[in-house]
Amino acid sequence: MEAETLSETQQPFKIEDKVRIVLVGNPNSGKSSLFNSLTGLNQRVGNFPGVTVEKRSGNFKVNSQIKAEIIDLPGTYSLSPRSEDEQVTFDYLNDNNRTDIPEIIVVIADASNLKRNLLLASQLIDLEKPTILALNMMDIVQRNKQEINVEGIQKAFGIPVVPMNARIGKGVDQLKETIANYKHQKIKKFVEDHQSKDALDNTLVRYRKIKEIVQANLKSSGESVTAQMTRKFDKVLTHPFWGYVIFLGILFLMFQAIFSWSTWPMDWIENGFLVFGNWLGDTLPQGVLNDLLVEGVLAGLGGIIIFIPQIALLFTFIAILEDTGYLARVSYLMDGLLKRFGLNGRSVIPLLGGAACAVPAIMSARTISNKKERLLTIFVTPLISCSARIPVYTLLIALVIPAEKQFLSFNLQGIVMMALYLLGFLAAIGTSMVMKYLVKSTERSHFIMELPIYRPPRWKNIGITILNKVKVFLFEAGKIIIAVSIVLWVLSSYGPGDKMAQVEQKYEQIKNDPTQELTVNQDQINSEKLEASYAGHIGKFIEPAIKPLGFDWKIGISIITSFAAREVFVGTMATLYSVGDEENTASIKEKMANAVNPNTGEKVYTKATGYSLLIFYAFALQCMATVAIVVKETNGWKWPILQLLYMGALAYFSSLLVYQIFA
Amino acid sequence: MADINKLADCKEGDEATLIGVDDEQLSVQLFCMGCVPGETLLIERIAPFGDPIIISVEDSFISLRKEDAMQMTVKKK
Repeated sequence: MEAETLSETQQPFKIEDKVRIVLVGNPNSGKSSLFNSLTGLNQRVGNFPGVTVEKRSGNFKVNSQIKAEIIDLPGTYSLSPRSEDEQVTFDYLNDNNRTDIPEIIVVIADASNLKRNLLLASQLIDLEKPTILALNMMDIVQRNKQEINVEGIQKAFGIPVVPMNARIGKGVDQLKETIANYKHQKIKKFVEDHQSKDALDNTLVRYRKIKEIVQANLKSSGESVTAQMTRKFDKVLTHPFWGYVIFLGILFLMFQAIFSWSTWPMDWIENGFLVFGNWLGDTLPQGVLNDLLVEGVLAGLGGIIIFIPQIALLFTFIAILEDTGYLARVSYLMDGLLKRFGLNGRSVIPLLGGAACAVPAIMSARTISNKKERLLTIFVTPLISCSARIPVYTLLIALVIPAEKQFLSFNLQGIVMMALYLLGFLAAIGTSMVMKYLVKSTERSHFIMELPIYRPPRWKNIGITILNKVKVFLFEAGKIIIAVSIVLWVLSSYGPGDKMAQVEQKYEQIKNDPTQELTVNQDQINSEKLEASYAGHIGKFIEPAIKPLGFDWKIGISIITSFAAREVFVGTMATLYSVGDEENTASIKEKMANAVNPNTGEKVYTKATGYSLLIFYAFALQCMATVAIVVKETNGWKWPILQLLYMGALAYFSSLLVYQIFA
Repeated sequence: MADINKLADCKEGDEATLIGVDDEQLSVQLFCMGCVPGETLLIERIAPFGDPIIISVEDSFISLRKEDAMQMTVKKK
């Protein structure tokens, strides 16, 4: 390295006890591996101010004296931004206002794909900030029987170069040493500004120069082993016929596993919350606070935590598919189809994720660079049947379809369940196809995507990804669920005027009246109180509107309460139908099956009402958390309100149609 | 005879040298991914109905749509 003297305009660079590391690199260059290997679990996920791009930051020790904070910027191919993610990287690097502590850019490059990766490095050098080049994936270089002259590259670029294999942590210590000993020297511009007219020209000038450097410093003997292996895999996995068969097979196995494996932990969580709720209810002094905590907050929290096993499992599978390089192929396979519906190959990830929970799924639509395609993906993802619909589906299907009923020798209950999932998917792509013509966009749609080479999954990275996803889900959804739970608790615990008090008085009298032989059941009181509460009044108020769908006021209350989260439907039904069952022996299902309309004497849950309600829950946007995340992701209320109205109308009219057909 | 074509007209397994990209925005994107004039492109895969396609440059694999491939002028080998 030629040490040159400092120019007058540059600040002297000296690390005392703190340094900020800014990690930049191409997608698939091993950036997350290096980040995870430096920070371990000492990392946070947040957002960059003003945009919805995920910001990962963390801390580590460079040596015994120097502490470092590290920012992981979104992966980018160049400093000419094309997506929101890349814009963030561009803005962050060009912001010269962070002068609190010294800053070093660490650009990580995939050494097995040197030419392309060095382009970004060369652009970073020209920012004239302290920069270190980390040459990652040296193991692949070795496997491909290539040899890189690290010294030569260091000389050509004029910045320190550290070879590494971040996957197994090799070279990380050397990187820390290089950071600690970083000496500022004047960085020589790679391409002088006057040499090129525009961005395009500039890129070509850079390429020519990089090509020469790579030719001089890379010895290669024959074909790349890893590329050959990837071709072999792709022969099958992207095959025009077998590729789709394999994808459907993987999808089928994935959902089988998610639903069967998650039963156990979900039971534990349910029981855990029950035990804890009872304990808390008994321990705290009786009163409003006790009720609010146990019946409001804790019940609401339990309602979302129970879905964590399913969400974690789904994201584990998605993370494995992504890390091995397969998910990029799925996007390739699906782009041709999804394009017709105004979506993008990249929409596959949100649509898949929507089967667990729409909240993290909608967040994963950020990688779609075309604004219209991203908006459409966000708009239709909640139509995919999520795991919160499962308890509702299960209860209602069991109610209206006898378990022994068969259709073409298959269990009819199972077929209806599958049909509901299919219906959700069809509604999603159908909606998107219509929206495609309504949303105007002048932006050209591209599907330019790198297909990384196939590699075994990095389990540590996958573990950390899942931990972060679950954390974000809990925090984002948790805030809203708690707030809504409190509101709902107030609505169902208090009533207009003294109606609630009247109910209590009535039962108080019965209790004290020795001539009354009727034993009073607490559930009966609860049920009557609910009828007298604000929620009950709202239910009665909306009854005329939902009557054509086959719903009574009790279902009306459940629809309102389950706006916090769909699965609340089951809990509300449990309270409403506890009437008169003194021994509490019948299950909710039995109680609902025996429910009779007092006016007509007919059963409430006929096949028509059951199907109608199923369709309603398949389509309605009964989820506060989804509304909140859409507000955040689209930066406003316009789209979430449209979505709420559209899905509400779709649910209402589909249910109306179904009820009229079956009634 | 020099065989100048659009990339979209190539068949699976064809090899071609990239000459230029018509759309400017597209060309910046492609150049940054190593798809630069003078490089050899190999058509690895064409999905059913001709869209999208996978090409490889050096040892990286890139998928793009047919309409993008129509903007790319190549010389068949």
